[in-house]
Amino acid sequence: MEKTKPNFNRRAFLKASALAGGGLMLQFSAVAKLALPAKSAEADTAVQWNEINGYIQITADNRVKLVCPNPEFGQNVMTSLPMMVAEELDVDWTKVVVEMGPHDNKKLGPQFTGGSNSMRMYWKPLREAGAAARNMLLQASAQTWSVPLEELSTKAGVIYHEKSGKTGKYGDFAAKAAMVPVPKGIKLKDVKSFKVVRHSQKNVEGSKIVSGKPLFGLDYKKEGMLIAMIQAPPAFGMTFKSFDAAQALKMPGITAVFAIKLYEDGFEQGGFDTRSFNDRLVVVGKTTWEVMQARKKLVVDWIPAGDTKDYMAGRGGKREVMVPGELESTAAQLEKMKAYANKPAQLLRKDGDPETAFKNAAQILERTYNAPFLAHNCMEPMNFFAHVTDEKALVAGPLQAPGWTEPTLAKILKLPAEQIEIQMTRMGGGFGRRAYGQYVIEAALISKQVKAPVKLIYSREDDTSYGIYRPMYTATYRAALDANKNLIAFHVKGGGIPEHAIAANRFPAGAVDHYLAEGWEIPSNITIGAFRAPKSNFNAAAEQSFLDELAEAMGKDPIDFRLELLKRAKDYPVGKNNEYDADRYAGVLKLVKEKSGWNGPEQKKYSRGVAAYFCHNSYAAHVVDMTLRNGQPYVERVFSAIDCGIVINPDAAKNMVQGAVVDGIGNSLYGGLTHKNGAVEQTNFHSYRIIRMHEAPKKVDVHFVQNDIDPTGLGEPPFPPVFGAVASALYKATGKRYYQQPFSLPQPEVPVV
Amino acid sequence: MKKSTFVVLGMLLIMLGMMAFSLNGPRAKVPVYLVKKDSAASVAAFKQVYTVLMSPRCMNCHPSGNVPLQGDDSHPHTMLPKRGVDGKGVYAMKCMNCHQPTNTPGLHMPPGNPKWHLPPANMKMVFQGRTAPQLAKQLIDPKQNGNKDLQKLIAHADDELVLAGWNPGEGRTLPPMSHAAFKKAWTTWLTTGAFAPSGK
Amino acid sequence: MITVNINQKTYHVDADPDTPLLWVLRDHIGLVGTKFGCGVAQCGACVVHLDGEAVRSCVTKLRRAEGKKVVTIEGLSPANNHPLQKAWLELDVSQCGYCQAGQIMSAAVLLKANKNPTDQDINDAMAGNICRCGTYLRIREAIHLAAQLQKKEGSGK
Repeated sequence: MEKTKPNFNRRAFLKASALAGGGLMLQFSAVAKLALPAKSAEADTAVQWNEINGYIQITADNRVKLVCPNPEFGQNVMTSLPMMVAEELDVDWTKVVVEMGPHDNKKLGPQFTGGSNSMRMYWKPLREAGAAARNMLLQASAQTWSVPLEELSTKAGVIYHEKSGKTGKYGDFAAKAAMVPVPKGIKLKDVKSFKVVRHSQKNVEGSKIVSGKPLFGLDYKKEGMLIAMIQAPPAFGMTFKSFDAAQALKMPGITAVFAIKLYEDGFEQGGFDTRSFNDRLVVVGKTTWEVMQARKKLVVDWIPAGDTKDYMAGRGGKREVMVPGELESTAAQLEKMKAYANKPAQLLRKDGDPETAFKNAAQILERTYNAPFLAHNCMEPMNFFAHVTDEKALVAGPLQAPGWTEPTLAKILKLPAEQIEIQMTRMGGGFGRRAYGQYVIEAALISKQVKAPVKLIYSREDDTSYGIYRPMYTATYRAALDANKNLIAFHVKGGGIPEHAIAANRFPAGAVDHYLAEGWEIPSNITIGAFRAPKSNFNAAAEQSFLDELAEAMGKDPIDFRLELLKRAKDYPVGKNNEYDADRYAGVLKLVKEKSGWNGPEQKKYSRGVAAYFCHNSYAAHVVDMTLRNGQPYVERVFSAIDCGIVINPDAAKNMVQGAVVDGIGNSLYGGLTHKNGAVEQTNFHSYRIIRMHEAPKKVDVHFVQNDIDPTGLGEPPFPPVFGAVASALYKATGKRYYQQPFSLPQPEVPVV
Repeated sequence: MKKSTFVVLGMLLIMLGMMAFSLNGPRAKVPVYLVKKDSAASVAAFKQVYTVLMSPRCMNCHPSGNVPLQGDDSHPHTMLPKRGVDGKGVYAMKCMNCHQPTNTPGLHMPPGNPKWHLPPANMKMVFQGRTAPQLAKQLIDPKQNGNKDLQKLIAHADDELVLAGWNPGEGRTLPPMSHAAFKKAWTTWLTTGAFAPSGK
Repeated sequence: MITVNINQKTYHVDADPDTPLLWVLRDHIGLVGTKFGCGVAQCGACVVHLDGEAVRSCVTKLRRAEGKKVVTIEGLSPANNHPLQKAWLELDVSQCGYCQAGQIMSAAVLLKANKNPTDQDINDAMAGNICRCGTYLRIREAIHLAAQLQKKEGSGK
């Protein structure tokens, strides 16, 4: 109990331990598994929950509550993670209550939603927690009944002693089990015998969603809570010189207008402490509309900020980073990228002798691909609740990585981490954006200043124009063919603002004798961060489009060509550190080939494109079937093949792949963010185009490779290859290759719905 | 084609003259317009009228398809709301679900009017893509203009929704001339014989 | 003071009549099922029924709702048993769930006017509702399923 979370009442904790017997207390104090009173997510009635471990609470009347460690942003972890616990605990899934846990890394593990890591990260710990809890309940019943544990069995939350005919519910032994030391090394179930996992279970919050229950950060409310909005500079590279709050303060409901500085000079930023601006203005008032109206009355003298400095914390110690002050425009960004592309770059990987191979090539194919900045556009704009006092802080809202925000909060608020309580609400989308806690820090600073509970709300325009974006990328791919049209060398040189996307050890690295990967970067003041499958979402578009064109140049079928390369990578791989498993990669291609009827009669009905990619430890391949409706591309059907190992919750997994496909079609055809003098040009959905109902395919046919491999990521892997498949289908549909995202064609005079 | 248009026009003008006469009683306060043919003045006036009708403020709600246009670049309206039988949209996508009785303040906010709608499906009155001669003929064809006679056509210049073109909401350009100038050109065109410019 | 009937209850709201209905519902009444997505009538997350029409509450001023009947997601059905709500659960439509209240409220107007909508009808009715997670395929399927349920058991009211 080095770190007692403030939400657990210390007095109650002591009382409970006294009741339980002080002797045991000492022995198990490190694992915090005492009978603590807690409130159910559903009921207001005071229920005595016995905490078996951080993930499991059981009442005497046999109610079972499973605590979800990872914040939910639509990937369905609140269902799939507790499913793993329920499987080993052996409880009736239909009767289990699931609750989102508070931030508590000691009890609930890493608690990070991102990197498609939830299933992978918790696959062992949660099953072990379930198995250990079941064993503790068995120990408690064995003791009570004075029978050997080995003679006991369980079924759906009931313990049986066959010999004596005794049966008891988990609840009967929960209080006692909570006092049992946590056993280690309990044998886990065979994955083939699962009853909950690998069977489709419905979203545990489904009925709350369809009935409009308060679930999201924006719905969070506390007595006396004020509303705050931020007025950020109108463009990246700007700050304010002075401001006049008089008019804003006269507006009804307004309580305060002031400036805040996110980080003090010299503040050492962690990797997720990205800040779009350091100085911003704040308007605080009683209701959202009043604050929105008053904010318009601010009179501000905005000026260019000039070059600024960031101090980044890192393994190598504190690092000074220059942030250029330029007010960037998209045309200039593109020009700059062209110039950088011709300069020497950082070597990322080299196999064989690519220079000589290119020199001796009979034919060289060279293509350059570009992609714009992308805004996440989570449907729920950024927001957070904070109540900060001199002693402690409560913050609550949508956040992917509470464990990364807490140390920053502690430093900025000058409070010990134990005095910071972070509650995670359901998130209206995340896509990587909510891994960056800038808005949490803002809310906390505002609450501290006004000495009141505050909810910070971003408008859509704030969210879009003051974001943490997918970088702007480019990459030039080159392939050398010999006189027999054999691929002898492959070269990729990629760059971006402010980082490149190149993953040098991914396919086709390992499959080509002479291989070269290089990268370069252009510093910028435009803040960037993770966006659903970071880097991969560009690579899969560029590289897979290139492979499609290369296959055509070699006179080969695009799937067969990839399979040949993968066979080569498997049989005698080139170089070291190849990240992917060639067999699993080939597996999804073969599956999608079969399911889509590749080369069958369907090939003539549609303009078909194929692409595959490996990222976040999983493999995905898609075939998209496109038609043109009045000259506009429409992806009518998609076939998807995924290998993410064991599929925890099949129907929800299918839903996620379908969603990723729709997201990929939307972003490849319409997604893009441009700048003019530092200002974002697409500030809301009137100009930032998001895919809509009539543009979504009629069918997305999802197939999973069936295997018993430990589960890997699914939120991200199906997304990147959609871009490549769409690009290749567009080529089939129009006879033209698309190198610049978004791929959308000129609007027709008469749109087709 | 040409012949029949003239016939229709001629009949219309005779009709309008009769109506003007019958309305010319002591109680009629509405101005009554009489036609005095002047093809040169008429065509010149229509050229003015045409620039207004083809401006985004007018054309955007007179699209060639069933989806209104939007913005100064007259792009298809985001989310593609459909005209519907009565021109007021369909299902959850009725015009008035977003367009309020008055303009909603702010950039990119829906402009408003209590009558916000497109022409109905049986009388589409398309402006988009029409040449000046085409549009001139179409405007006075009772089969295409909702059975409007001269008086009604002239009165239409003061229609609430037509006037909304000159109150377009923040960030939208105005038609190329004032409403008064437009009305003058419109009335001149109609009262000088509603001649269509030559050509196709 | 403006009087509005919301989910069959009468409220006297003390707010600027120009306040969007969205913020009246969320901040004044405390009904937060209606969501703020864009504030400019582009995304549909804020759709409520105003005298039966699927208005976007982010641009609908309180004064327009005066004396009228407002229905929000919380009041769509007596026991969350509208055919659409049932269908949504049956097909497990939601991902993040933020847009779904607006989707359901739009779909409810469609189903009232069209008992047996085609895919085209669904496109026409639903193109105003953005789902950033991309659950459109399931929304479409759920509307078809709800139409069947509605035929069998009525509208849940």
